[in-house]
Amino acid sequence: MGTLAVFLAPALLLYFGFTLYPVLRTFYNSLHTIGPQGVQSFVGFANFSQLLNDDPVIWKAVGHTAVFTVVATLADVFGGLLLALCLFAGAPFARVLRLLWFTPVLMSYVVVGVIWVWIYDYDWGLANVILRAIGLSAFEQSWLGDPSTALGSVMVTHIWKWLGFNMIIFLAALYALPAEVLGAAELDNCGWLAKLVYIMIPMLRATIVNLLILSFIGKMMIFDLVWIMTGGGPLWSTETVSTYVYKRAFDWNTFDLGYPSAIAVLWFLIIMAFVVVITRVFRQRDKLEF
Amino acid sequence: MTEPFAPRPITALVLAFAAGIWLGAPRAHAEDVTLTVWSHEADQDAKVAFRELAARNLEKAHPGVKVKITWYEKNPMLAALKTALPAGQGPDVYYIEPDWTEYITGGYLAPLDDLIDWSTIEDWARKIWVHNGKTYGVPQEAYTNELYYNKDMLKKLGVDLPANAQFTQAQFLDLVKKAKAAGMTPIAQGVGDRPFPGAYIVGEALLRKLGKADYEKLFTGKLSFQDPRVIEVFKWTKDLVDVGAYPKNFMTLKLGESHYYFYSKPLALMLPMGSWYTGRAFVPVEKGGQPPDFPLGIMQFPAMDGGACSQCKTSAIGASFGINAASKNKKLAAEYINAMSTPEMGKRWIETIYLQTGIKAKVDKFTGPYAAYFTELMARQKGADYFIGGPLDLVEGKCKDAFGQVLNAAFPGGLLTVDDTLKRMNTACYKG
Repeated sequence: MGTLAVFLAPALLLYFGFTLYPVLRTFYNSLHTIGPQGVQSFVGFANFSQLLNDDPVIWKAVGHTAVFTVVATLADVFGGLLLALCLFAGAPFARVLRLLWFTPVLMSYVVVGVIWVWIYDYDWGLANVILRAIGLSAFEQSWLGDPSTALGSVMVTHIWKWLGFNMIIFLAALYALPAEVLGAAELDNCGWLAKLVYIMIPMLRATIVNLLILSFIGKMMIFDLVWIMTGGGPLWSTETVSTYVYKRAFDWNTFDLGYPSAIAVLWFLIIMAFVVVITRVFRQRDKLEF
Repeated sequence: MTEPFAPRPITALVLAFAAGIWLGAPRAHAEDVTLTVWSHEADQDAKVAFRELAARNLEKAHPGVKVKITWYEKNPMLAALKTALPAGQGPDVYYIEPDWTEYITGGYLAPLDDLIDWSTIEDWARKIWVHNGKTYGVPQEAYTNELYYNKDMLKKLGVDLPANAQFTQAQFLDLVKKAKAAGMTPIAQGVGDRPFPGAYIVGEALLRKLGKADYEKLFTGKLSFQDPRVIEVFKWTKDLVDVGAYPKNFMTLKLGESHYYFYSKPLALMLPMGSWYTGRAFVPVEKGGQPPDFPLGIMQFPAMDGGACSQCKTSAIGASFGINAASKNKKLAAEYINAMSTPEMGKRWIETIYLQTGIKAKVDKFTGPYAAYFTELMARQKGADYFIGGPLDLVEGKCKDAFGQVLNAAFPGGLLTVDDTLKRMNTACYKG
């Protein structure tokens, strides 16, 4: 027991200090207003009431986060699958392509964000330069400066960064498929598409579900890339729940963490509910490993 | 029964290891004190050198004292302060700006009235930091909002600057149209990383149109954005926006990039900026500075028709320093701030940073490569009636957020009509 305690203690301390305590503290803060010098006054559900009834920005943020989560997740995961299939099928220059597609995964969000802000720049950005070069200057845009294109532009960047990660996972899963099953399908004269739809994808189901759920959870908390590229603008058109929490906590001339904590708690509960539902839906048929 | 691992030796080993780390840690002498300072403006060499010099001077005067300055960019420093101070982990001295009032109301800044030598600080600058009769910050940087321009480009357009260096609003609109027609970018400005540059033109126009008292009322929620004078200013600004005053990449262009845009590539006719322009411009070209032969000029922001105060001008305090209310080294912290605020250091500030200061400093004659610039800057101050503080010093919360998103970005970015802009600003700011 003593040895067990010695070995467990560091991990438990870290877990309590950096995970459990902050979570509990956030719940506690959400029911309080925190005044000067940390003086707290209990306000019950007043922060939640204000959040639900009197804050138009939070609903924009929720909407954008939901769109971002659904669209980027589907694009990320199924895009990654397509790339993996492409390499698995023995596309020319597969090694080079694998390296190219995976490289963005190794970059930090800051680097990716800065690169793509340049790419989207109206005057000298690559996106508009290409459009002008191919005679499509009518489509040139202030990609991050227009509320109608800003969120989509950030999503494209995010997808670009994460496609390679999903591709590598799928590639590993594809190489792990039993060769005898694929061989038998070929002997039965099964075409490439039929083999993909009826054999490979069903056998990849657990991988797909795991990646979908991991991707969903990650994107529901999206902050870094949005903060670097747009800061939530223009006109709150890329505001996500996380950027809004940050603004309310650090940009509003206040040390009151009560209201931002209430946003964080609400969002935490929504994410938890989502995870529980998805887990229940898939539990019967797949062993999830997230 | 034998256990796979004997617990006692392992526990003893862990404890011995921990004890070794503890015993091996360097011990501080009782008389040694490290004064911790957090400062923004890590990217401005002249300011870094200035504050480091004051630190070394203090160390020389107090053997055993070490001043450790941690250099930050603004946003990371704010995030660090907002978590460190409530946790009791903040530095002894930290960089502050006048609109960061939450540090005062939160009790994280010590009153400095009896700690600092105020004889070396300008009274008008000190006033900015007086809240409820107590002074919480020592102003170091002072600045005025200026409208920089490229003399050669103005000449190329065949336009002469009026004797008082101030165009009327119609002349200014015409100038922007001429520049645009000549293929120039009229105003290099971007809001990619700051919540205020896009509001320079409309803000200064509002100040001149409304006069100081009503201008203050507007940004403190006591005057409606639907006031006819305000509407007139916004309509004029919208005309500027619609003729293409700002670059197309206005929404993503960053503050530093807008400087480069103005004086290096691709060049622009004008750049509205605080007079801390020099911090980025007056550095070597290879570090992104202005070319030595750049024909820099300064004009006044345009006068508004029927304006209450054409000579009005924004003067504000920027970089300041305060002392953590929880610091155990308040006297030493005050000595560090005093060391930055001597008349000699004030003179050094002006001569090396080319910027106004809240420190009393006597500079009879400007010398050096930028003497002509400073002479022109001083000429633009003649007869000025200053409004002390910028709009961001006045707004907070929802109104501050709207200022950044609407007035700073979306309106000058051409995304909103005048009506929509005024409605949004009124909803967020007007308390009437």
